[in-house]
Amino acid sequence: MIFVIDDDRGWENYYRRILKGHELEFFHDGIAAISEMDVVTPDFVILDILLVGPTGFAVLNEMRSYPELAEVPVAIISSVAMKDEIAQQYGVVAVLDKSEMDPSDLLALAKEYDGKKSA
Amino acid sequence: MESEVFDASSSVTVVAHELKAPLSLTRQLALSLDFEDSIEGAREVGRQIVATSERALQQVNDLTRIARLDDALFEMEPVNPRVVCDEVISELWQLFRFNRREIEIEYRNKRRLAVANRQLLYSVVYNFCLNAMNYSGEDLPSRISVYDRQNKIRIDVRDFGPTVPTKVWREIKDGFVKRPVDIAMRPGSSGLGLYIAAKFANYMHSDFGLVRHRDGTSFYIDLPISGQLSLV
Repeated sequence: MIFVIDDDRGWENYYRRILKGHELEFFHDGIAAISEMDVVTPDFVILDILLVGPTGFAVLNEMRSYPELAEVPVAIISSVAMKDEIAQQYGVVAVLDKSEMDPSDLLALAKEYDGKKSA
Repeated sequence: MESEVFDASSSVTVVAHELKAPLSLTRQLALSLDFEDSIEGAREVGRQIVATSERALQQVNDLTRIARLDDALFEMEPVNPRVVCDEVISELWQLFRFNRREIEIEYRNKRRLAVANRQLLYSVVYNFCLNAMNYSGEDLPSRISVYDRQNKIRIDVRDFGPTVPTKVWREIKDGFVKRPVDIAMRPGSSGLGLYIAAKFANYMHSDFGLVRHRDGTSFYIDLPISGQLSLV
């Protein structure tokens, strides 16, 4: 299962279309996503940075502080320009810029990290 | 000076980021057409591309108008606020739909005409609505209300989300709105839309303000009533 954490709901249709066949759960703020992770551990997380409430970095810090969630692969997909060092610092598997990425980048990540692709 | 928005690098960054978001989505939606296998699905993507790009264009047009405010090119005239609100809804309903949001309208004003510039008033209401769309919680529609208030007509747009911090409430109440970052009112907000609304309201000599609710915020503009009885 993939958790998509992005407060811009306009992206939801996009993710549904590109990641067809993957089980997706959408969250529009980090608190709701972290709460749900108490119930379900996602296989892969797509995380925006500028969120309503705690930022994506706060979500990452929270996840990394729990042993159950520390190893969950996370990709930052954001409009905020970011250096590659961020990926290393937070241990994320990828940093994609929403303005430059290609849908195939997203598909490749989902294929690699989501172990529960249906259909 | 009205062009100060372009002088401060932080404001330029805010504007750039605000425009980057819809442009990025538009590009990705266009690319996603390769993954769409039904005609109706492709049409739906097309509709979202149109709605998203229109939002970006509206922001660009608003910024252009801010730069032209000093030239006093926007005449005041009798305007029917209901008609303006209807036009905004007609423009925004698709965007609301793609963001899984709803908006309601409530008209209670007895006096029909206000004094405003139609174009600027449209932008004020448009930006109030966009703000409400971004901040309303799940399954809670935003609401536009138009009603008489003393010798003015008030248009307010209510959202049901996190309320603004008291510091920001105080700044807006005191009319201290110099650049977008001053009214970046809630996390994730640049405040650009409200900055635009405040500029236009100020130009029209209308009162711009907000009401903090326990479960959200209302932004309003109070317009002087026109002595003219009808637009016909």
